[in-house]
Amino acid sequence: MTERDIKDLLTQGPVSRRGFLAAAGLTGLSATIAACTGTGGAASDAPTAAPTAAPTAVPTAAAASGAVESAAPTVAPAPSYAVEDELIMYNWAEYISDENIKKFKAEYGLKKFQYDVFDNNDVLMAKLQGGASGYDVASPTMNYLPAMIESGFLQKLDMSRIPNMELINPVFRKQWWDPTEEYAVPKDYGTTGILYRSTLLPSVPTSWKEFYDLIKGEASGKTIFVKSRDDVFIFPLKMLGYSLNSVDPNELEQARQILLEVAPHLYGLDSNQYGQTMADGTASMALGWTGELGQSLKDTKDKGYVVPTEGTAFWLDTWVILADAPHPEASYAWLNFIHRPEIQGEETNFNLYATPNDAAKAYVKPAILADPAIFPSEEALKNLEGQEDTSDSTQRNDIWEEFQSKVGG
Amino acid sequence: MAGTATGVEPRAPANRLRNRLLTFGLLLPAGAWYLVMLVLPLVIILIYSFGVRARNGGYEPAFVFDNYARAISKADPFIESLQMSVMGTIGCLLVGLPLAYFLAMRAGRNKSTLLLLLVVPFWTSFLIRTYAWLIILGPNLGLAGQIESIFGVQDVQILGSSFAVLLGLVYGYLPLMVFPLYVTLERMDRTLIEASKDLGAGRWSTFRQVTLPITLPGLVTGSILVFIPMMGEYVIPELLGVGRTYLMGNALVTDFLEARNWPSGAARAVLLIIVMIVTVAGYLWFVNRGRRTRDVSVL
Amino acid sequence: MDRWAGLVEFYFRFHTVVVYAFLYLPIFVVVVFAFNGTERAITLWGGFSTKWFGIALEDEVVKTALANSFIVAIPNAILATVFGTMAALGLQRVGRKLKMTFDTLTYMSVIVPEIVIALSTLVLFATGFDFVRSTFGWKVNFGYPTIIAAHVLFNMSLVLLLVRARLSGMDRSLTEASADLFATPWRTFRQITFPQLLPAIVAGFLLSFTFSFDDFVITTFTSGPGSSTLPLFVFGQVRRGVTPETNAVATMMLAFTLLLLLVGQMILVWQARRQGRRSTAAMAGVIADT
Repeated sequence: MTERDIKDLLTQGPVSRRGFLAAAGLTGLSATIAACTGTGGAASDAPTAAPTAAPTAVPTAAAASGAVESAAPTVAPAPSYAVEDELIMYNWAEYISDENIKKFKAEYGLKKFQYDVFDNNDVLMAKLQGGASGYDVASPTMNYLPAMIESGFLQKLDMSRIPNMELINPVFRKQWWDPTEEYAVPKDYGTTGILYRSTLLPSVPTSWKEFYDLIKGEASGKTIFVKSRDDVFIFPLKMLGYSLNSVDPNELEQARQILLEVAPHLYGLDSNQYGQTMADGTASMALGWTGELGQSLKDTKDKGYVVPTEGTAFWLDTWVILADAPHPEASYAWLNFIHRPEIQGEETNFNLYATPNDAAKAYVKPAILADPAIFPSEEALKNLEGQEDTSDSTQRNDIWEEFQSKVGG
Repeated sequence: MAGTATGVEPRAPANRLRNRLLTFGLLLPAGAWYLVMLVLPLVIILIYSFGVRARNGGYEPAFVFDNYARAISKADPFIESLQMSVMGTIGCLLVGLPLAYFLAMRAGRNKSTLLLLLVVPFWTSFLIRTYAWLIILGPNLGLAGQIESIFGVQDVQILGSSFAVLLGLVYGYLPLMVFPLYVTLERMDRTLIEASKDLGAGRWSTFRQVTLPITLPGLVTGSILVFIPMMGEYVIPELLGVGRTYLMGNALVTDFLEARNWPSGAARAVLLIIVMIVTVAGYLWFVNRGRRTRDVSVL
Repeated sequence: MDRWAGLVEFYFRFHTVVVYAFLYLPIFVVVVFAFNGTERAITLWGGFSTKWFGIALEDEVVKTALANSFIVAIPNAILATVFGTMAALGLQRVGRKLKMTFDTLTYMSVIVPEIVIALSTLVLFATGFDFVRSTFGWKVNFGYPTIIAAHVLFNMSLVLLLVRARLSGMDRSLTEASADLFATPWRTFRQITFPQLLPAIVAGFLLSFTFSFDDFVITTFTSGPGSSTLPLFVFGQVRRGVTPETNAVATMMLAFTLLLLLVGQMILVWQARRQGRRSTAAMAGVIADT
């Protein structure tokens, strides 16, 4: 514990010399610092009051005394650089904890934390492609990153200013979506799989093949797919043993046959209320995401979620700073702040998505940590394949359209 | 229909100039708005429709006709949309006409209150209202469950059916039908109907010869205002139709957002706009043809 | 004959009641579910509770979104009503060709699917802003004005069509009489034309406000930092599940509107009673004269 705390302090501390000194000066205190999450409110006046030109000792002393007086566990490192008084975030609604926003505002003395919302990645992408601007931070899913990077929508990050990046599990680092780790900081991740209600089915599906048989059999007219092209393609492609990102004409043609075969057996295509449709028994299976398990299906006793044995996709949402961000300093501060272990732990407790930040797991409620639907097992992790951007495949689009017009017979 | 209809006849050259300026001033804001906010965007769409998809999606300049060929080869959503929109318009008319008649002719002093009450439901977020419909039509508390228990049948599914989509469409677009009808009916002189009856005309012929001609402009406006946006609708079929109906609006969203193929979406949109303009023009011509002859006969 | 008339009368009344029930049925469900004590998901009934009202009242994001909805919808409705009415009046004074051009534009603005006009407007603004930024160095960006500008297009056409439907076949003898009596055009408009057009203008204003207040597609693509409206917030919730928070907001708005209506209605009744007395007196005078 102690060791990790020291490490936290060192890693979460700002990197400039002044900031580093501030953090270093506090290491003596770290032994007394408990691991629980604190309000961090005591530190609020310290950094705000510290102008850039202030002598080194001032913020250090202020922060230290603040921490001592209140015995606040969160030693808020004073920002080593001046932060603008505003941050404009473009994100899904309610995707970050209000508590954390409050803490961030207080600690960095932000007057305004603007939280604008989009309803899916495609909208974000279309807005950027159309030339919209003025946002600082956004959180696209990783398969959109290469296109965004290439189109010049994102700012190249100075990772030395985001030391908490080191807390991220290497599995999620330097992957194909950001091989040089210059543009994105992982946010949270999840999987696409099969949701089911065991009492409504003769047998519980464990693979895509069994899922396929059930759709055409007992679950005919009672299966829902989420309305998401890339997620729907996982099922036939993985069942056939291909990559879920395949754009091979032959493989896609085989996938097409399977999709058109099951289309008349589906209840519908829907990403909004499929949890509810399952909860009321209209549907017994769904190809979908884990979020619904804790929501509409919360009180459904016989619900289940399985990562099919053939493997499936994982998605990873990431933090990025947009190219023309009007408040870059505040953006950097946010990216590092959000990955402080206790802050990140609160995020997971709030939004119920798995965090890629290992140090934060100590602050996640045990029940959430133990839920295999939220944190996939080691074994399930092995079979996961990241979704890539295949939006340029005309064949995929054509199949997707044909499939959509055939759903429900 | 003639040029100087307001009755402010130009009497002197100075007056005429003033009149011209007034006309110009009256048309300027709307004209400017149309030019900047409609014509320019349409030009952009037209240019895009000949382009190609950029490597990462979006638009890249080119001059090809592929997008049009592709759009023409995929007419299914268009036909399904057409059927839905025609039925939706008829539905709105059946629901809206008697309502508008009542509001205009019988509501008396409560007219404006009732009119306001007609739009108040639409101040509640569309998505929330649609979720309410999901509960109403759904199997647990809702209609489907009731039908099952009353008639002792199993697996009644209303959600996902064309009926559910149609219901959603009529619900969503009703005010756009009722208001134009109300506006024209409200103007109608009740004495005209009395006179017609006094002259021995039957109920039907009174309706046909007095009520209908007066209502016609409202009816035309209303049906156009309802029919056209229904062609582009995509959220209602997605929610109440559980994604089982794939309409023109869904196809456009697939093109523009999911495939990020702006040129392909643009070509589809251009074709849709052309077809719709021809349809509307034909409809207006058909309606106005009858009216003009009547005007002439009156003169 | 009379029995038929009674039946028809009854039908109209019955039909109206049914339609209003149809319109308010989902709203009733919305209100009921605002008192849902569920932890999160709106679709599960978690017992009676008023907690979502508290949450809504404290949620800065929701409050800003609601305020933004009004900031957009009201100017939009005013501009659309004024421009649309002006154009409808102006079109009466021009020749066939210009009228045809205007008609085409009006119908075109209704025809273009929302997603298409939304994206092309986005491109237009972005290009324009880039140009302004690089040429003049002004800081311009998406925000309320861009949303309003885009909304006004459709709503202006709506008002224009409504007012024209009203104008066509309006009794012109009054306007002509007024002109013959050497009233200025402005006076003729104010005293003769405007009162006759009022129902259409009011209807146009109401529709414009309603459209703008609840628009999602166009607003999404023309909004900028800090100008997200309420529908954007609600759609943004979809991924994590829509909560009864929005129901609470809707319920409060509904209660407020109905309260205003009630007060308005009472004032109307009171005025009518006063006027009724006066007009009876006037009528008596007229009868006495003849």
